Parts: sequence; structure tokens; C-alpha cells
Amino acid sequence: MERALTADERWDLVDKITKEVVKVGAYKPGLRDALASLTVNPWTGIPFAIAVLYGFWTFFGEFAGLFTDGFFVRIFGTHWIPWLSGALEGLPDWLFTILVGDRAVFAEDFVGDPCFAAGGVLTTGLFMPFAVVLWAVIALFLVLAILEDTGYLPRLAVLVDTVLHKIGLHGFAIVPTLVSLGCNVPGVTATRLLETRKQRFMMIALLGVFVPCGAQIGMMEELIPGLIGWVFLTLAIGYLGFGWVLNKIWPGESPEILMDVPPYRAPQWSNILRKTWSRTRHFLMVAVPFVLLGCAIVMVLYATGAMDTIASGLEGFLAAVFGVPADATASLVVGFLRKDLAIGLLPIDAMTNYQVFISVILLTIYFPCLATFAMLLRELNWKEILATLGFLIVTIFVFGGILHLIGLAGGWY
Amino acid sequence: MDNNVTKFGSMFAAIMGIAALGFGIMEFVGEEWGPLTAEGGTFTAWRAIILLCAGVIYLSSVTNFIDVRQIVKAVAASIMIWIVAAMDIWAMIAASIPSGAEEAGEPWFASGADFLAAYGPPYMPAMYLLVPSLVIIYFITRRRIAS
Repeated sequence: MERALTADERWDLVDKITKEVVKVGAYKPGLRDALASLTVNPWTGIPFAIAVLYGFWTFFGEFAGLFTDGFFVRIFGTHWIPWLSGALEGLPDWLFTILVGDRAVFAEDFVGDPCFAAGGVLTTGLFMPFAVVLWAVIALFLVLAILEDTGYLPRLAVLVDTVLHKIGLHGFAIVPTLVSLGCNVPGVTATRLLETRKQRFMMIALLGVFVPCGAQIGMMEELIPGLIGWVFLTLAIGYLGFGWVLNKIWPGESPEILMDVPPYRAPQWSNILRKTWSRTRHFLMVAVPFVLLGCAIVMVLYATGAMDTIASGLEGFLAAVFGVPADATASLVVGFLRKDLAIGLLPIDAMTNYQVFISVILLTIYFPCLATFAMLLRELNWKEILATLGFLIVTIFVFGGILHLIGLAGGWY
Repeated sequence: MDNNVTKFGSMFAAIMGIAALGFGIMEFVGEEWGPLTAEGGTFTAWRAIILLCAGVIYLSSVTNFIDVRQIVKAVAASIMIWIVAAMDIWAMIAASIPSGAEEAGEPWFASGADFLAAYGPPYMPAMYLLVPSLVIIYFITRRRIAS
């Protein structure tokens, strides 16, 4: 019986065929070819990648800031929310709480931002997706489309190939990772680029746990700009560390691949705009209903007093294991639906910097949002889903616990 | 490309390399010197690292500037500077449009004077490197004509 070739034997065969059929003549590279080689050479490619990623994040921050801080905070904070609270003042308390928010937020002596503090479906529920998240997501998808269409993204894949091989993935894993920075849902679909079930499972598990989506990043940029670098560094360490462990314990193959790297091209703006629009529309259709539902659930829990019961029940546990105050419970509950909304609901003024940092990390790692979870159900088999959930639970306790211990040792609470 | 252009190219790469290294160090120091500022911002350290790397890459292209593999290093370093400078300009544009007012009845957009004032000095270091770095386009064009 014939046996299948091993990966090494297959490569030897490729070498042999190549030697027989390929004639190598004198090659005179043009400027574009030379630039293509230079951007995949680690010595020059890594500084170049740092510059590209700097441009990526700066454009994202400034674009989102222009619309959110420049116009939408005022539209909601000065016009829409005060008008709505006045117009619906006569509603029964429970309905007012669900639609507009806590009446205490609209008192004369309230100190804080009603856009985040109100919590109602028609106030915070609309403010977050349309005033904060939408602009961040448009900026991310726009830059991502430019990187794809110029041909830079495959080069970034070549550049990080060596590092990602150490955790059982390969360079193209950078594509679902970057796509997930916009939205985890298409990121999970993009894992189909990977070769084996092991790699797909690992990638999906790492995306669901360690890669925050554009909506979350937009909220972080708005609420904790000074901590965002630390959050990303911590998540990157978790991504690589837990990826390494998963690679060791999960059975399966992580083969070598040949990457097809297209030449650099000037992007077509009509394509870029079409891609950005289609991804943004998909994001809005998936995200907005969950944000509105999340706000409604939280306000129902508040209106019925159930949130206080949950908070007091979890208070001791959260404080002991993660060092998070009871006030953060509401946002952790909402995190099951939308993590961006959850970050927006964190009582930042009542927390220390380290508590905010650890809460944001916990919100990122503790469960994928419902839309992403639905994608996991579609893309993985039952064994892999159970393994992903097990991985999630272990990660929360190990990673969250380690961060808590580091905070205690450093005296940062 | 003839000898003079190659010599000019090497000189250009050397001067840009030293300037980018100098400005990168200034970004690390993070102070204001007259019309030049390197103060504040979330990504100051990253900007400094990019300028320092651009400086080193420029300097590594000084010898044998006629070779495409050398010229392309200067091209890559220039692109890195363009990215940083473009983001500085984009930040200025983003800051110049809204009025920043929060009360009802106040204007939504910045007045003409405020709009223009947003583009005044002090400028970030990469902005000073932007114009001289555009000289690389001359070398790209000369190379294209020569080949």
C-alpha cells in the first residue's frame, strides 16, 4: 500500500521538480521589486512595519476623535439626551429607566458624563454604536482595506511568519488577527485561510480571547487612552504565551506553507470604499441590535434590583480573584452581549488605574460577544467548542489571577 | 545615473540620516524648542523609534547609491518619515475643524482664525523632515529615466 508523503519529503520533491523545470537567468530587480524584498527582510521590514502600524493607529485615533469628540459627544450630551429626558419625563419610572436611564443622572447636581452614565436604550444604547464605535470601525476597516489592496498585508504575513510558527500558526494568521481588530466575526471567518483544523481551532480560540474588536478599541481610546498601550502589550503577551501552550497540548499538524505574495500596487479607491462600506454595514447590522439589547437587559436588572443582588453575590469573588470592585459587575454581565458597551459602563471614576486596566483585560478575555460565539458554533465542531470554552475559563483564571498578583506585588491597587 | 547624481544621492542619504537620528533623539527628550515641539501624545516613543530607524536606514544607503538595493533603502526611510509626518498633518486637520465648544448655541465649526491658527508652529520633528525627504522622488525619477 502506498503511504502519504511526509511534509519534508513533499518539500524535497518540490525542490527536485523545481530544479528540473525552472531556468534561472540574470535577474535585474526594479525599484518596486527591491522595495518588496526590503519590506520582508526583518532588519528593514520590522521598522517599516512599526511605521505602518503607527500610521494605522494614529489615523484610527484621530479619525474617531474628530467625529466622536468633535461633534457626536455634543450632539448627544448637549442636545439629544437632555431633550429626550425632558420629552419622556412623564413615563413610569421603570419605562423611563429602560428607555432613557437612571433619573439620578439627569439631576442638577449630577457629576459625570450622561452619555455613558445614563445607560438607557435610546441614550447610551444609541450613543455608543453611532457616536463612538461607528467612526472607530470605519477608520479601522478603511486602513485595513488599504493595506490589503496595496499588497502590504501579505508582506506583513511573511515578516511575522517565524514568530507565529513558534506557536504553531503561520504568517497568514496575521490576517484574521488584523481583521478581528475591526470585528471578531469576519476574523473568525478569515481563519479559513489556515491549513489545518488545529491551526483554525487555535486561531479562533486566540481571537475570541486575546484580540479586542474595533468597537472595544474605540471605547478604550475614548475612555482610557493612557492605558491602551499597556492593555495591548498585555494581550499580545497572552496571545503568544497561551498560543504556545495550546500548540503544545492540542493534537494536530502545523505544516509549512508557500505564500503567494503579490506585487505592490496602487490601490483602487472605488474598491477600498466598497470594502469599507460592506464591512461597516455588516458590523452595524450585527452590533447595534446587541448593544440595544444589552442596554435594555442592564436597565431591567437595575430597575428590578437584580443587579444589586448579582453584584453583592459576586463582590467577594471578583475582589478576591481579580481585585475588581463590585461596581464593575454590571459591565461584566453586559460583556456577554457586547464588550464595547461593557467597557463604556465601567465605573472608571470609582476605580484605581490598575483596577480599570485589569477590568478592561478581563472584559476582553472572559467571553467572546454573542455574535462571535454564534460564529464559533458555526465554524467549530462540538469538541472544539468545549475545548474553546475550557480554554476561556482557564485563561480567565490564570491570566486574570496572574495580573491580580502582579498588581498586589506592585502595590498598584 | 551619472556619477554626480550618485554622489548627490549619497550626500542626501547621509544628511537625512543624521537629521532623522537627531530628530528621533529630540522626540525621546520630548521638549519644545522654538518652532519645534516633541511634547506629549500617546505615541511619542513610537515616533522616536521610527525616526531613529529611518535615520539608520538612510545611513545604510549612503555607499554605492547607484545600486537599486541601496536607493530603495532611502525610499523606505522616506516613506517611514512620510507616514509620521502625514499623521501629524492629519492630527492638525482633525483638530482644526470642530470648534471644541460644548454648550448649545455656540458654533459647531472652528472660526476662520482658529482654523488657520491650528496650522501654525510649533511643528513636530517629522514635519521638518517631510520636505527634504521628498528629494528622493528626484532620484526615483532619474533612475527610471536611466533605466
